Amino acid sequence: MSILPTEPEIVELDLASDEMLLNMGPQHPSTHGVLRVALRTDGEVVTGLTPHIGYLHRCGEKIGENLMPRQFLPYTDRLDYLAGMNMNLGWALAVEKLLGMEPTEKARHLRVLVCELGRIASHLVAAGGYGLDLGSFTPFMWAFREREKILDLFEELCGARLTYSYITVGGVTADLPPGWLRRCADFLRQFEPVIGELHTLLTSNAIFIRRTAGIGVLGPETAVDYGCTGPVLRGSGVAWDLRRQGEPIYTRMYDGYRFEIIAQVHGRYPEDEPYPAVPAEAVLGDSWHRYYVRMLEVVQSMKLVRQAIERYGQAKGGIGEVLKPRHRLPKGAAYLETEAPKGQMGFMVVGDPGGTPSPVPWRVRIRSSSFCNLSVLGELCRGCLIADVPAIVGSLDVVLGEIDR
Amino acid sequence: MADGLIQHFGVYPCWHWLVYLTVGLVQAGLLVAMVLLSVAVCNWMERKVSARIQDRLGPTRAGGRFGWLQSPADGLKLLCKEDLMPAGADRMLFRLAPYISFCAAFAPYLALPLAPGWVVQPLRTAVFFMLAVTGLEVFGVILGGYASHSKWALYGAMREAAQVVSYEIPLGLCVVTVVLATGTMDLVQIADAQQGWFWHWHLRNPFLFGTFWIYMTCATAGTNRAPFDLPEAESELVAGFMTEYSGFRWLIFFMAEYTTMLLLSLLAAILFAGGWNGPLPLAGWLGLSADNGLLAAWLGDALGACNLLAKGFLGLTFMMWLRWTLPRLRIDQAMATCLKYCVPLACAMLVGTALWTFGMRGGFSGKAEKEDRGADNNVQVTILNSQFAILPGPALAPRLMPEGGRNP
Amino acid sequence: MSPILWHSVFFVFLAALACAFAVAVVLAGDVVRMAFYLIMSLAAVAGLFFLADARFLGAMQLMVYVGGTLVLLAFGVMLTARGSLSSMRSGGGQWILAALLGGLLLAVLLQTVVPLGMRERDSPLPATEKSARSPAQGEGPSPALTTQLALGLLGVRTEPLCAGAAGPTPPPAPAYLLVFEIISVHLLVVLVGAAYLARATRPRTKEEALGIR
Repeated sequence: MSILPTEPEIVELDLASDEMLLNMGPQHPSTHGVLRVALRTDGEVVTGLTPHIGYLHRCGEKIGENLMPRQFLPYTDRLDYLAGMNMNLGWALAVEKLLGMEPTEKARHLRVLVCELGRIASHLVAAGGYGLDLGSFTPFMWAFREREKILDLFEELCGARLTYSYITVGGVTADLPPGWLRRCADFLRQFEPVIGELHTLLTSNAIFIRRTAGIGVLGPETAVDYGCTGPVLRGSGVAWDLRRQGEPIYTRMYDGYRFEIIAQVHGRYPEDEPYPAVPAEAVLGDSWHRYYVRMLEVVQSMKLVRQAIERYGQAKGGIGEVLKPRHRLPKGAAYLETEAPKGQMGFMVVGDPGGTPSPVPWRVRIRSSSFCNLSVLGELCRGCLIADVPAIVGSLDVVLGEIDR
Repeated sequence: MADGLIQHFGVYPCWHWLVYLTVGLVQAGLLVAMVLLSVAVCNWMERKVSARIQDRLGPTRAGGRFGWLQSPADGLKLLCKEDLMPAGADRMLFRLAPYISFCAAFAPYLALPLAPGWVVQPLRTAVFFMLAVTGLEVFGVILGGYASHSKWALYGAMREAAQVVSYEIPLGLCVVTVVLATGTMDLVQIADAQQGWFWHWHLRNPFLFGTFWIYMTCATAGTNRAPFDLPEAESELVAGFMTEYSGFRWLIFFMAEYTTMLLLSLLAAILFAGGWNGPLPLAGWLGLSADNGLLAAWLGDALGACNLLAKGFLGLTFMMWLRWTLPRLRIDQAMATCLKYCVPLACAMLVGTALWTFGMRGGFSGKAEKEDRGADNNVQVTILNSQFAILPGPALAPRLMPEGGRNP
Repeated sequence: MSPILWHSVFFVFLAALACAFAVAVVLAGDVVRMAFYLIMSLAAVAGLFFLADARFLGAMQLMVYVGGTLVLLAFGVMLTARGSLSSMRSGGGQWILAALLGGLLLAVLLQTVVPLGMRERDSPLPATEKSARSPAQGEGPSPALTTQLALGLLGVRTEPLCAGAAGPTPPPAPAYLLVFEIISVHLLVVLVGAAYLARATRPRTKEEALGIR
């Protein structure tokens, strides 16, 4: 594929007389945010699609040039607002990479703990919202009921349900309150059967399979070309997870933890748990597989949380020395990608190139996983029916907060 | 009933019309009241059932712990809403569409017997009439979608009309299967053929059992309930043909949907599950028949009506359960289900029922001879044999069954 | 005070509805409204059938005409009613032609119906079948008359029937088939016209699509 951009496909101009231009959004009763999708349809068949973004643009990157890294932390919460912990982690690690800081062991395990709980919470929204897009109202409520419990745990921990600012540069902001670990373990214990219920209502449901299997098939080469990451990439059969294959500053966080990378390799998914079987109609890279990867990742995250609870109990030391507010950033740049629930989130922080040490970065750049995942939507939707578009958008699990920043 | 009143009170001939009018109005009023009350109960039930399925509580404040006043409260709120009409809408059609839907949904109740003696207009071709009128509801949908002057509304209207019209075929086939097994289109006779214990119901016939499930699927699809509610799907089309309707007009559409659901449920109960005959022949045991006087007959009818309504509401609960459990089928998948699965299965059930009835003639309960009665004159009414009505108006007394109607 | 002939009252009411809506079909400007008025007119005719106690036929009318044919018509109208087609105004010449044809049809119908009615009034035929109900106030034509009426509209001469009185009705004359054939050809013409009107015109080049000449 050439690196020169091809002529952008502007759906609105290339309209034949019997084709219709339809707009989905920006307000429509879907959980993904303010996304506008312009569709060119011939009857029910979609012949072209262009997503229009920018409705949630809040100049986050520019604001980063005026704030110190610790001040910028709450802005990262609002990127992927459904997985704030993971956003905090990405930013904190990027700044730590620039400064050469290393968190303590206790902070490392705490970070794993909350990030994996955040991953479960994000995937619950993805699964429940996906059911809602397809007309299944009940799994949405059940998924959110479980998510509420996670949010309650987070509220106890840092005082906020959605915008945590908990993981900060140098460590975490506070230690666990007493009894929190027991409550977390209780939550995990009662959560396991709920996953089975969600499988019954969605994964193995014949109508769900008919709506998602074979829809929006994404080949692995196309996925890599468009820069898709996370469950979208793993759903196409590419076993790539930054928690194992990323930079050492990130992967050392998961050193010693045992978990599987969920992707279909050589025709099989990892078999460490009794997962529901893959139906015959599902094609690797279709919406069903992307959804399935998320459901299996939830189980893996649960395993990680249990291990983190154990290792936190054994760790000694403090929760880390938090960066002093007016600490001057050195000259240089640091870019780090982490495995967020929706894909690879990259944060770049650049110190002043002129050499004047300043506590405020020269440039902040955020590489959004959903942005690249959404860019493949035009390819996926060509030739599908209008009713398949929400199914495909839901399977990509985009959140406009991080696309628009 | 009107004749009885006239004779009893010795009304002057010039006032007969007033008696008929009053009786007609009272019966119509009772029917409207029953239907609207059922719709309100349906609405409350939907919220409670959906809430419990979704692991929450539902309305708990309006009118006490169970929120039973929620439906009237919602109705009152909708009455007070602003009456919006889109700018380019066809005003007359926009206004009329909900009422057409509701009238088409309500009219079949005229022929629906709640008990052998309780039917507004007993028709020998009741089932056919009900199917015919229920099929008119699609007009309200098409006109509503068109008159809204909105691309999305028209899309939704077309899809819904296509779906409803397609599913009328297997629905009709299922009904025809029962008519074949019973030999009559009269609902009173169909239900009376199932008198006795619950094993006398039509469900004992394995083919009719299968037909029952196909019927419930087609009924769910015909009223655009999930999993067949793509025309009203929220994620793609906002609300389909109802997008531009708000307030009271939307309430009428909504009532039409519930009315049709209840009608099809009640019809299913009569056709397949014995109608007003309960699982045990209680009326017979308690002596609630015409032989023991008017009060006993009335009580027997009331018991039957309660039975029928209970079964109807069970069917409704089943439809609601389906809605809150299953995802939505795409429109082409819904049409494929109709044409590739429901129609062939319904035809197979028809053939099977014909063979079963033939083989079982004179079988289990000796009620087979009922199937022959009335088979000739019901189905072959032609224009050359038509009779002109002598007396106008509704609710001539049930002419086919003696009062009480509990002939063994 | 003479008893009110309720049957006639309802008949006049429903017939007036049917005629009024039929006139509205002709006079309406918008195609969709025309379809709607036609629906109402045919529903009124179904009401007339119910009034005549032909309940099966009334339900059949509702199911086939209103529920089937008119749904199809409404679909077709709605999908093709764009631009020039959405308001159909006829010119003056077409009005005169239509009035002429309508007048001719009315003359044929009256010529068939009125002599029969006059004959019935002068020498009422014995009824071949009596209804199960007690004949109270109000009258309707006897069944044998409807037989003659139906056959007369089909073009079969019915005078020999009057002398014969009771007995089974003769089978319909072959004229029935001609009427069916005419209807079938008419429907075929309608279908062909609809297909022609609904053909898609695809622009051949991108310039055409963008409107550049």
